[in-house]
Amino acid sequence: MKQDLEWEPRLVGFLCKWCSYAGADLAGTSRKKYPANIRVIRVPCSGRVDPLFILKALRLGFDGVLVSGCHPGDCHYQTGNYYARRRIAITKKFLEYIGIDPERIQASWVSASEGGKFAEVVTAVAKGLKEVGPNKLFADERREHRTKTTK
Amino acid sequence: MKDGNIEQKLQSEAKALLESGKVDYIIGFEAGSLKFTTTPLITNNIADIDRLVINPFIVNNLSVYLTEVKGRVGIVVKGCDSRSIVTLIQDKQVAREDVVILGVPCPGIIDLSKVERLVGKDRDELDDITRDGDRVVITVDGNETEFPTAEVLFDNCLGCEFPTPKEYDVLLDEFSPLVAGKAASQESLEKLKGMTPEQRWEFWKNEFSRCIRCYACRNICPACFCERCFVEESEPQWISPVPRWQDNLMFQIIRNIHVAGRCTDCGECERACPVNIPLRSLTKEMYDIVDDLFGFKAGMDKEAAPLLTAYALEEAEDFIR
Repeated sequence: MKQDLEWEPRLVGFLCKWCSYAGADLAGTSRKKYPANIRVIRVPCSGRVDPLFILKALRLGFDGVLVSGCHPGDCHYQTGNYYARRRIAITKKFLEYIGIDPERIQASWVSASEGGKFAEVVTAVAKGLKEVGPNKLFADERREHRTKTTK
Repeated sequence: MKDGNIEQKLQSEAKALLESGKVDYIIGFEAGSLKFTTTPLITNNIADIDRLVINPFIVNNLSVYLTEVKGRVGIVVKGCDSRSIVTLIQDKQVAREDVVILGVPCPGIIDLSKVERLVGKDRDELDDITRDGDRVVITVDGNETEFPTAEVLFDNCLGCEFPTPKEYDVLLDEFSPLVAGKAASQESLEKLKGMTPEQRWEFWKNEFSRCIRCYACRNICPACFCERCFVEESEPQWISPVPRWQDNLMFQIIRNIHVAGRCTDCGECERACPVNIPLRSLTKEMYDIVDDLFGFKAGMDKEAAPLLTAYALEEAEDFIR
């Protein structure tokens, strides 16, 4: 029997080890509910996130990318998130100019104590991506199951 | 001052520099093998100095050679090129004391393809092109026709913000040129911005289907000085070396992000492209984004920190949740 699957966006989250990753942990241990669309990659700092990672994720067919780090002033390395902020700002604007929906590139500040906020952010981002639709930007050599949508 | 006089001044300055041993090499322009072209001249021989020229066709941004030539160098630069040198100093690729900058106030460089389109003749059929202020006189078969200079300049020269070099040791001429045509230089970008995102993506997809990944844009770019480019990494392999449009476009997007805050809109990438991809429509947009968001213009201050190695506490973050 053929099963109709409703399309769900796939989201990569680059979470900083000190704040957002711990925040995600807290969301789990406090049993907060958030959509399972996110695939988490732990990075030492949001400043580690090269715009190349964001592009590569989109190139591989992910529907969106979330970069999350410590609030300004709280970075474990003092300033990493400030550099990240500049980089993401120009990346987002530039990709918008090329024709990539800015919804696909997301950023947030989530501290280790904000499990609730993490759940909210992921819920909101997943909802936004569902409206934007599947990432077919680089399509034509992606494997088919990745773009499966409701028939 | 006439181009001829600037040329004489340049030649005497260059000779003096080589003779006194202040520099090991001179990097400048000499006449090219084709009509109305110039080609870079890199020399340590005083006898070659007479070949140096200054004319409305000195198109190349010579600062790209600075990272390759060892020793102290005297270099001929226009406004945009001098800013490229400043970014190289900011990035510690070049030491200020190792370069003697011979600055040329630049009233704009003539785009031969625009001339060809304007007069409907091949460049070989033209007898002469002379510039006199804001008029250009083109001679074909003995007949002179006059055009406004703005009609034959490269897009990136139109409305040039800084025609006079920012950083120099010798300024070869005193006058400060004003280049008209700001609006025309933004035309191609405005056209793209008027499209829907889907149309823009489709546009770039089309353009980059032609890309043969020769990396001419990267190699000609003074801001692209990495010893090892990310496209050549194999562990991990970020992008496939096969010239598919997806990877071509990804390469160019990342290249633009890498040169953000270093690109001075000199237009060399677009001119180097063998398949005529309008690369300046990408680089200029990044130039504008950086200016809008952070009020940062590349190559203005050699003491300033490079764009992406600095931050301000309060900065645009309305996009952050």
